[in-house]
Amino acid sequence: MMNDTINRPARTYTSIVTSQFKKNKLAVYSLHVIYVLLFVFVFADFLANDKPIVMSYKDNLYFPIFHEMGVDYLGMNWQKEFQTQQFKLISKHFEEGDWALWAPVPYSPQEYHLERKLTPPSWAHPFGTDELGRDVLSQMIHGSRVSLLVGFVAVSIYVFIGVILGALAGFYGGWIDIVVQRFIEVMITFPRMFLIITIVAVIETQSIINIMIILGFTGWTGVARFTRGEFLKVKNEDYVHAAKALGYSDFRTIFRHVLPNTLTPILVSATFGIAAAILIESGLSFLGFGAPPEQATWGSLLSSARDMLPSGWWLTTFPGLAIFITVTVYNLVGEGLRDALDPRLKQ
Amino acid sequence: MKKSFIIQIILLVGAVIWTNIGAKNKEVMNDGFNANAGGIKVDLTGDIKIFDSSPTDKAVKKGGTLVVAWSAEPENLNYYTSTSANAKRFLDYIYETLISYDYADWSYSRPILAKKFEVSDDGKTYRFYLRDNITWHDGEPMTIDDVVFSMKALMNPFVDDAPLRAYYDKVIDAHAEGDSVFVISTSEYYFMNLEFLGGFAIMPKHIWDPKGYMDEFTIADLNDPRVTRERSEIRQFADDFNAHSQGRPVGFDAEPIIGSGPWRFDKWITGEYMSMVRNDSYWNKDEIYIPLMAEDGTNLDKIIIKTIQDPTAMLTALKSGEVDFLPRMRAIQYFEQTNTDDFLDQFQKVTYNVPAYSYIGWNNDKPYFQDKRVRQAMTMLVDRDSYNKYIGYDLGVPTIGPFYIFGKQYNHNVPRWPYDPIRAVELIEEAGWIDHDGDGIRDKDGVPFSFIFSVSAGSRGAKYLSLMMKEDLRKIGINVDIRQLEWSVYVENLRDRQFDVVMLLWIGGLETDPYQIWHSDNIGSRGSNYIGFRNDEADSLIKNARYEIDEVKRNAMYYRLQEIFHDEQPYTFMFYQRDPGAYTKRFNGVKWIPIRPGYNFASWWDNQSVSAMAPSN
Repeated sequence: MMNDTINRPARTYTSIVTSQFKKNKLAVYSLHVIYVLLFVFVFADFLANDKPIVMSYKDNLYFPIFHEMGVDYLGMNWQKEFQTQQFKLISKHFEEGDWALWAPVPYSPQEYHLERKLTPPSWAHPFGTDELGRDVLSQMIHGSRVSLLVGFVAVSIYVFIGVILGALAGFYGGWIDIVVQRFIEVMITFPRMFLIITIVAVIETQSIINIMIILGFTGWTGVARFTRGEFLKVKNEDYVHAAKALGYSDFRTIFRHVLPNTLTPILVSATFGIAAAILIESGLSFLGFGAPPEQATWGSLLSSARDMLPSGWWLTTFPGLAIFITVTVYNLVGEGLRDALDPRLKQ
Repeated sequence: MKKSFIIQIILLVGAVIWTNIGAKNKEVMNDGFNANAGGIKVDLTGDIKIFDSSPTDKAVKKGGTLVVAWSAEPENLNYYTSTSANAKRFLDYIYETLISYDYADWSYSRPILAKKFEVSDDGKTYRFYLRDNITWHDGEPMTIDDVVFSMKALMNPFVDDAPLRAYYDKVIDAHAEGDSVFVISTSEYYFMNLEFLGGFAIMPKHIWDPKGYMDEFTIADLNDPRVTRERSEIRQFADDFNAHSQGRPVGFDAEPIIGSGPWRFDKWITGEYMSMVRNDSYWNKDEIYIPLMAEDGTNLDKIIIKTIQDPTAMLTALKSGEVDFLPRMRAIQYFEQTNTDDFLDQFQKVTYNVPAYSYIGWNNDKPYFQDKRVRQAMTMLVDRDSYNKYIGYDLGVPTIGPFYIFGKQYNHNVPRWPYDPIRAVELIEEAGWIDHDGDGIRDKDGVPFSFIFSVSAGSRGAKYLSLMMKEDLRKIGINVDIRQLEWSVYVENLRDRQFDVVMLLWIGGLETDPYQIWHSDNIGSRGSNYIGFRNDEADSLIKNARYEIDEVKRNAMYYRLQEIFHDEQPYTFMFYQRDPGAYTKRFNGVKWIPIRPGYNFASWWDNQSVSAMAPSN
């Protein structure tokens, strides 16, 4: 018996949480779905694009999608013959020896074909086309970027704000606590959706960055309260007194010693927060307040589909499913994480 | 993580292989919506401009109720102060004017309250001879005093009718001559004078001004700021007039509006409906109400105008029988959602012309749109016909200028610019817009060809067109940013000329005066020439045509003006609109006309009406 214990590798906190998490099958599957979403997020350009991935043209090898990134982010220029970027047109005049390898969805989200408007799902357009003849699948792939980006960035912003304010309030107490608490109370008296719509209406330019910032600045109250509560609980622990006795600065005490021990519940609430942010962004885009019109997002897809009903079922079904699945998996992962971190449920 | 990543890579590679090798030649087309969708396309070309979409072989029956759905409710029902088009449409059945459109030749000359009228040789003085048998809805006789009073009320500077009053700024005098002649003088001849001087609603003086505040003042007094400032009665009257209960008769026990027309005001329940009933003691029973259009202004017993904002709810109301007539449906409803046999058996679908055209306005003062070659190129870059076919369901009628295609002012000899992107690029390069700095966007003198297309938040057509343009122009090195704006902000930006490109609709009439929109006087200070169109020849044509008495000479000037528009392309003129509508087949006498709103309930009758005779009083 004794030997057994000695030979077993030391059970770290992470490994305990991981093994607890793995017991929740649903959460594990959900995590895999998130991996898929991340994959789509990263490789969206290669999954759906009207340019070929690789192209051999007049004995030269080109990588138009990579080149496009260079043009967009590095200030490169298109080659003379590709100035108009109409690779599909070029490919129609291919000569002997020319070839192109296309992305799995060979349409960009903006590319329109009026003569194909509102076609139901088919092999060419697995999720159908919208009222301008744009490929819905391509729009959804690129729209996933917006959804995930909004989720992560908005939550990062508000976790950052919330943790700092909550930590200060909890650690110092006194008038700082009173000020922060009252501020939180003022913030939560506004219904969040209305507050967001009001701010969006004031800002004239529509952009996804604005939405992320607004979501970030309106969502931090929950995290701040959480952190404050955790700080109140932890700040009288012996190790905090020890840190104080050793003469560490408040900054070091707060961020090196107290904060790491309070982060787990915040992590859980952040996971739920991502789901909520995605939902709010979809709602805003649905109402026409969110992304600019040329930007494909799941919410704006749904919104454009609203008027098509009852024709055009595919316009509501697929983006709706995508939002539903994404929000669900984040919630399931959050739940799994919460259970795994809860010492009372440990077996 | 590792496992799922490998699986994803395998799936991706599989998908790439599938697209590139597995599924070649897979073209789909959605070429056809049903172009007529079982409806009637009202065609007003040729001389006859009245189109009956219902069977004409039956005798007119009396009785029945018509329920119509309009999408917006007026803010008030004061004929002069209301800015809502729907208020005027409703009140046109209750109030009457001295003269109106003659449906035979569409000149403004059909006598109504005036039995005849005379215009002096210099075109500045108008004499209207009032009939002597007119009675108001409350039984009082209409006298010449009512006519003079109405003109004074309209001209009162404190009455909230500034947009309307602007058309009467040349009026210098209006008075009664004897018991039946109304004389009105203007300082200048203006070709649209008759339409305004004979086309204002006559209101009962004994209701609106029982104390006779306006009696002692003349039009000259009202035009004189010194008098209007000093005499408190003028303001007193205007305050009463603006807030008069006749202007907002809301509720079940409100005093009805007193007019003289064939219809009496019935009720206005805000948010629900407005209604009118037949005026059984209409003064003009013996004469043909509108020749060629309606023998009698009142075939029906009652007309109810319901307010239904949501288009889907509108269609549902029609289907359930709650509403009989939808004047404006959504195109997708007309062409794709109402094609069942059931629907077509019960309802008649119609697309009809309205005098409103859509256009893309290029701000002529922005560096990229200063050169007319660029504006011509922009027109040639917009694939207007595909847009009309696929987005607009072929409802648009192409136009080359601002005048109504069914009017006499329209120049049918001016060609339309074709859709020709190759020629367009040549023109843009000729104008000097070449990518000098090699960033993929054309530029000239350091200004990149990058503009903002402003789209009003509710406008789908503009949104789709802007998306198409963004994608198309990107390929030729022009950047388009799309900005969606709330309508109020949109209009504000328009007036302040803070925009690059807009897409909008102008609503006009059979004849219009281009001065307000096209003369360079109206650039800035919130004038309607907000795109900043300047052309000396156009300016002098517009000014001279206004005061040209000879119609042929005047229209020749407008023809020339359209040639200038064609060359300058200040706007890209898109389409005159056709509105899709539907009504229950229970109604006959459904006639369509080229003036707003395109229909007139006077001609409608209910073929299933049980009361074959008019009920007695």
